[in-house]
Amino acid sequence: MSAHYILRKLVQAILTIVAIVALNFVLFRMMPGSPERATKNPHLTPEFIAAERAKWGLDKPLFPDQLVAFAISTAQGDLGYSIKYRGQPVVEVVADAAGPTVLLIGIGEAIAIVVGLWLGARSGWRRGGVMDRIGNSLSLIFYSMPYFVIGMPLIIIFAAGLGWFPTSGMTTPGGDKGPAEALFDLGRHLVLPVTAVALGLIGAYSILMRSSIVETRSEDYITTARAKGLPDALVLRSHAFPNALLPMVTLIAINLGYVVAGAITAEIVFNWPGLGLLTVQALDARDYPLLQAIFLLIAVSVVFANFAADIVYGYLDPRVRA
Amino acid sequence: MSLQPIAGTTDLGVGRWTTTGRRARTFVGRLLGRTDGLVGVVILAFFTVIALFPSVFVGPLEGVLSATGQPLDSPSLAYPFGTDELGRDLLNLTVHGARISMVIGLLATIITVVIGSTVGIVAGYVGGVVDNVLMRITDFFLVLPTIVLALILAPIILDVIGAQAELFGIRSTLLVIVIVIGLTSWATTARVIRSQVLSVKERMFVDRARVIGSGGGQIMRRHILPNVVNLIVAQSVLTFATAVFTETTLAFIGLGDPAAPSWGQILNNAQSAGAPGLGAWWYIVPPAAAVVLVVLAFTLLGNALDDVLNPKMLGRR
Amino acid sequence: MTGVREPGAVSATRGRRQVPLPRLADPAAPLLVVEDLAVRFSLPSGSVKAVDGVSFRLDDGEALGIAGESGCGKTTTALSLVRLLPANGRIRSGSVKLFGIDLVPKTEKQLARYRWREISIVFQGAMNALNPVRRVGDQIAEPIEVRLGRSRDASRKRAAELLDLVGIPGQRASAYPHELSGGMRQRAMIAMALACDPAIVIGDEPTTALDVMVQAQILQLLERLRRELGLSLILITHDLSVIAETCDRVMVMYAGKVAEEGPVTRVFTAPRHPYTQKLLSSFPNIHADRRTLDVIPGQPPDLRNPPPGCRFAARCPFVMDVCREVVPPEVTFGDGVRVACHLYPGRDAAGPPPRVVGATRTCDAASSTDPAP
Ligand SMILES: Nc1ncnc2c1ncn2[C@@H]1O[C@H](COP(=O)(O)OP(=O)(O)OP(=O)(O)O)[C@@H](O)[C@H]1O
Ligand code: SF4
Ligand SMILES: [Mg+2]
Repeated sequence: MSAHYILRKLVQAILTIVAIVALNFVLFRMMPGSPERATKNPHLTPEFIAAERAKWGLDKPLFPDQLVAFAISTAQGDLGYSIKYRGQPVVEVVADAAGPTVLLIGIGEAIAIVVGLWLGARSGWRRGGVMDRIGNSLSLIFYSMPYFVIGMPLIIIFAAGLGWFPTSGMTTPGGDKGPAEALFDLGRHLVLPVTAVALGLIGAYSILMRSSIVETRSEDYITTARAKGLPDALVLRSHAFPNALLPMVTLIAINLGYVVAGAITAEIVFNWPGLGLLTVQALDARDYPLLQAIFLLIAVSVVFANFAADIVYGYLDPRVRA
Repeated sequence: MSLQPIAGTTDLGVGRWTTTGRRARTFVGRLLGRTDGLVGVVILAFFTVIALFPSVFVGPLEGVLSATGQPLDSPSLAYPFGTDELGRDLLNLTVHGARISMVIGLLATIITVVIGSTVGIVAGYVGGVVDNVLMRITDFFLVLPTIVLALILAPIILDVIGAQAELFGIRSTLLVIVIVIGLTSWATTARVIRSQVLSVKERMFVDRARVIGSGGGQIMRRHILPNVVNLIVAQSVLTFATAVFTETTLAFIGLGDPAAPSWGQILNNAQSAGAPGLGAWWYIVPPAAAVVLVVLAFTLLGNALDDVLNPKMLGRR
Repeated sequence: MTGVREPGAVSATRGRRQVPLPRLADPAAPLLVVEDLAVRFSLPSGSVKAVDGVSFRLDDGEALGIAGESGCGKTTTALSLVRLLPANGRIRSGSVKLFGIDLVPKTEKQLARYRWREISIVFQGAMNALNPVRRVGDQIAEPIEVRLGRSRDASRKRAAELLDLVGIPGQRASAYPHELSGGMRQRAMIAMALACDPAIVIGDEPTTALDVMVQAQILQLLERLRRELGLSLILITHDLSVIAETCDRVMVMYAGKVAEEGPVTRVFTAPRHPYTQKLLSSFPNIHADRRTLDVIPGQPPDLRNPPPGCRFAARCPFVMDVCREVVPPEVTFGDGVRVACHLYPGRDAAGPPPRVVGATRTCDAASSTDPAP
């Protein structure tokens, strides 16, 4: 992979982030009563507010002074103070909630990528076969279900009904647990939310992978591979799959924004103490600084994920390395 | 949420379950001759009828005051779908939810398709700097977690225009959802349309038309649009699926209008009432099944349309 | 190159084989005999009779050219030999006998034994025929390793030798397809086709999409390899001059059927079928414009609904009433040329009347196709 390619993608990512910060600034201005409202936090002292006003240049013109001040404070990780969380810096509030969400989405994505790509490749390769019909129908159904719609029946059946798993939360409160016990407890709480996220994603990924494989299957080099008399499984594994995977890398990354939004709903259903639950709380309290910080964090993560996908793509496809 | 409209990139292949031997020549015949097309149309017809005349089937929408049942009653003869925590008939709510969900879906689809097609056609046809700029913006919206953005935008807009305001007879809460969905999903459409426009442009007759001296706008309307209209139709149907899906999500998160409960709003109520933990499955299954059926139907139909309207040679090397 | 084959060619070329013949092979049988092959593609709008009753034969060390305008079934014929048809294609009838072994009834697994080890293919446009994400050398080594069971190192070494043989420096083995020029890719494709030392190499328009200089180089390479390795070649091309220079025999196809087949010297100097005549006269000078095949007025028929009778009837200047109703039988002449046209009643004129469409098979391949060796 050439340095030039990486550099170009990096510049793109940075420009996107700059645009996101600018967008965030505009939102910040659009808020009713803004910007005063952001400083009319009942939990802050008047002296503190005066200092904040000076820092954000609220008495100076909107552009460029206020935008620059906003960008600088954003870059320094100063995103203001939460209303709901009694004047705590929003960065701290968000940081606390990020871990559980990363855990949920990370495991869900990992499972979905492995299972979804495998399932999609298998069904696309034998299009019209038994596996394809069953797998594709199931995928379509899961693909049509928001994560919370998958999650609710899971709770009714496996938590409320059978009692195999807890209905909500990330840990069982109270009691001193050893590390092993705590991990087991966390695992038990994770099963259902991760299943909800993973099932929804498997539906989407297997459908996309299936169509990618179907498209790849009619490429000339697949005919060449078959002409070579290679076993069918080898044609799939070493010719069709690596090529069909290429568009998937980009699709999975672009999809991440949707996954996060979906995970928010899963967190609500399972009362999972992550960004999703925090978002809903912030929404109810109209805690705009908090909402903005959540948006900024998620947006920047998604941009980074896309950058990473570009790098992976470059690694997988020799044609873009040049 | 993991749903994006995917016409042109996806071949769901379910269309291959056709009854072999049947060879309907007409468009409708070809569409209904496919399992996915037929299933999609049947489900949609069902929900459309319900959405058009909900009161004919279940009477007027039950409110808090007009509720007649006991709270959280499981299905019975009087209440075949059971009741919610306020004693409202869930059959009544679900049927009325069809109208609300589908109207929002329709409006959002119109916005999405108009913006997406315009951007796609202009970018693809004009090319050059315009294309570059438009595609950068499109890419930005593709990458941006727009639904999260919507979560900030929606309350801001509501605060600004007031939650009770009405525009064209639509309450502002619902309108905000419509706008937010429109803004979040046009980018995919724009990309798909653009690439089709590029290939149409390659073809001769556009050049000929240009030589004869018609202006760019005229060429786009007279020559490009007719050639991408099939794709736009298929894309619209798929967008509708996304719109219903997104509406459900946003309403579930809490941006819905409790006075006009869509399926997502009913599910939000169910969640607030603790229905999953109480095992009140009847509160969840009807609206959830309705959402899944409608999204599924539109996805199936959209792909069937894409196949029928934009035939690609089968299995050609 | 053209002209008579020396007797004993069979044993000479088969003796050169480095890998054993298939177990079931009949040593006395001809290399390849295709009889009455019919291939259909099913489409929602109907079934395409892309190849309909094609018969031909290829002997050891021989080069057969297949010509005909676009869509007449050349590629389909070639691909159906080892059943590489697209998913909607099926062989409906006929036989493909390699060393006397019929490949048509073989299962996919059994057939794999014959692919590449006996019949390999150089596809048109090597950019698409080579896997873009794998190194060229690995793609050449792959069949050696998988099909011949050599070690990875030995296969790599052999791949480098093959690249050398086709005029690519061995160290380019680590290049990806996009890093090679069009001509180099086509050479690499040829090296790949030679990997398992096959009995037959099929070239499906191996030089289309290359510039004229490179075309000439690739054709020279194929000639050289054919001489040195004793290859048997099937060469599909639009370019009649290529066939004239490279092949021993030529088969002219029209709309899924054989119009005329025979030794290049005879067919090109005295074409009998009106389509062959048109084809050749649309080629005023063999060395001038190379791409004038489509100047015959009219279109080939829709193969979903081919006309009864002769498929060329709508465009033929000599068309007679009988042509529109009766499929012309194939007639073999003394000089080894086989023609399907009512202008040449031939032996059949004295025999029973030609069969009418709707009868099971239209041309009586068994009795009249075998070109006298
Ligand atoms: N997968 C397919 N489905 C339907 N019809 C097909 C398919 N593949 C080929 N055909 C049809 O079969 C006929 C023969 O095609 P084929 O590719 O063998 O022609 P060809 O002689 O090789 O043409 P060309 O010179 O363009 O390569 C054509 O009419 C073509 O349209
Ligand atoms: S059979 Fe008749 S139509 Fe066909 S080529 Fe001969 S003369 Fe022409
Ligand atoms: Mg061909």
